[in-house]
Amino acid sequence: MRMPAFLRLTIRNIIVNIDIGTLIFMLGLPTLYLFVMGFMFQGIVTAGVPVGAAKTVSYTTFLAPGIIALESFTAGNIGGSMLWSDRRWGMFERIMVGPFRRIDYLLGIITVSIFFAFVGSLIMLGFALTIPISLHVTIESVLLSVFAIIVGTMLFSSLFLIISGLSKSMQAYNTITIVLFFMLDFASTSFYPITSKTPEWLRIMSGSNPLSFIANILRDSLILNVTSGTLFYALILFIVMVAFLLTSLRIYKNIRSGI
Amino acid sequence: MDSAITVDDLVKSYDGKKIAVDHLSFRVGYGEIYGLLGRNGAGKSTTIKILTTLINYDSGNAKVLDYDVSKNGSEIRKRIGVVQQEEAFDFTTVENNFKLYGMLWELKREERKSRMEELIDFFDLDEIRKKRMYDLSGGQKKRVQVAREFMHDMDIFFLDEPTVGLDPIMRRKILDFIREYTKKGLTVLFTTQNLEEADYLCDKIGIINNGKKVAEGTSSDLKTKYGALRTLKIGYDSTIKLDKDKVIDGINPLYIKEINITSDEVTVISSYVEKIVNKILQNIYNAGIKTEKILIDNPTLDDVFIKVMKK
Repeated sequence: MRMPAFLRLTIRNIIVNIDIGTLIFMLGLPTLYLFVMGFMFQGIVTAGVPVGAAKTVSYTTFLAPGIIALESFTAGNIGGSMLWSDRRWGMFERIMVGPFRRIDYLLGIITVSIFFAFVGSLIMLGFALTIPISLHVTIESVLLSVFAIIVGTMLFSSLFLIISGLSKSMQAYNTITIVLFFMLDFASTSFYPITSKTPEWLRIMSGSNPLSFIANILRDSLILNVTSGTLFYALILFIVMVAFLLTSLRIYKNIRSGI
Repeated sequence: MDSAITVDDLVKSYDGKKIAVDHLSFRVGYGEIYGLLGRNGAGKSTTIKILTTLINYDSGNAKVLDYDVSKNGSEIRKRIGVVQQEEAFDFTTVENNFKLYGMLWELKREERKSRMEELIDFFDLDEIRKKRMYDLSGGQKKRVQVAREFMHDMDIFFLDEPTVGLDPIMRRKILDFIREYTKKGLTVLFTTQNLEEADYLCDKIGIINNGKKVAEGTSSDLKTKYGALRTLKIGYDSTIKLDKDKVIDGINPLYIKEINITSDEVTVISSYVEKIVNKILQNIYNAGIKTEKILIDNPTLDDVFIKVMKK
């Protein structure tokens, strides 16, 4: 039986991306965040983290879904950046004159991003359980978590596809991705809750950050309760993903060769 | 299906301004090696990009294996191999680059391995097979880039300046390898600025300048047609001083660009050496002088290229 072209490209993307740098970025950093940041802050935030309706959870319990959400961002970054790397090192052009359609290449990137996101999320979930955190698992919460990871990863891989498609130099690409990495990572609800004491500008920034939506959905699904608010986050996340995906498709369509 | 590649009146401009390919036409027969020569920016790479379906053309017609390049791209891409001018590799080891290629082109695992081993051996890549691509020199990367293409079957092989950075021995080895494949029916479209290798490899050559074809033919056709000045040297052993008028007696003076006579050699520079050589030898013989050696330097493709470009 013939393997579909996009799956062959996905396997290629996995093999090419499994190196020490990618593993540190995908697993090492989030693990450090989870254990180092988690336990350090837990020692400071002794009263727990407020999660609405006069409820609090330990900081590590609060952080764990945020770290799992971070895997969508990281995997989306790795996947989306493949376009840039392939353009920079000539493989985009070579693949485009190979036995593939343009859509195969794009699907290969999205599929590998989702694959990395799931592998990373499962590993982080496994680590989180050793802390330990108590999970609240229902069919609904599992489905919603899977939805958040898939849609979130597609959103971020689209975002990085856009940057890869528009970047004209290595410096520009690196600068944009580093700035985005810090802005999206730390100005989100992955690490800190938005409270009444959060400055207005940071509340807006964090509240409109797609990573916050993923973190909120995962937190509600895995450790709290799914509410209409969770579904609202899911809807917004989906809409933003579609907008990013369409934009990336438009840019991708016009890319012909390397940088 | 007369030709493997048919290009008719092809036009391609960038941003509607810079014309890269200007009403270009040529045909490449099955099993033929066609060399596209031209200076930097002549339109060679653009032509290859059009034929490999990477970019569209503005007008004209281009067919590869009888498929229209603007309509049947996926059919064409299944049956071609391409070596781009720029580096193209995956950020992994040399071995993995071969394996990935085999996997992408749907080779079975055993076939992937056996082909890889053959190619690694032939292209002298054994020492660097475990190295990562970015640790290789430019020439080594190019070797992998060319070798890797033979992992999959193909009917047409497009090579855009494939031997840049290679040492002469490897260059010759690769050219011979390609020629061997053409005996099995492979068609090759080859661009280069190294005229010596075009002369060595190509069955037919097209010279393009500013996107236009300015000359076409076999290497010897082009040399005959555009061959620049050639030098005829006749060595002799005699105490008799040769007289210039006697040497060129009966020869149209327009056939001779320059003549120089020393005590042991006559040197004639002419575009018509074949036409005058017998007469000159006859004249020397008639003067009672015994010739010892005759040397005629052949025109090179470089001479042809320079002459065509000046035109």
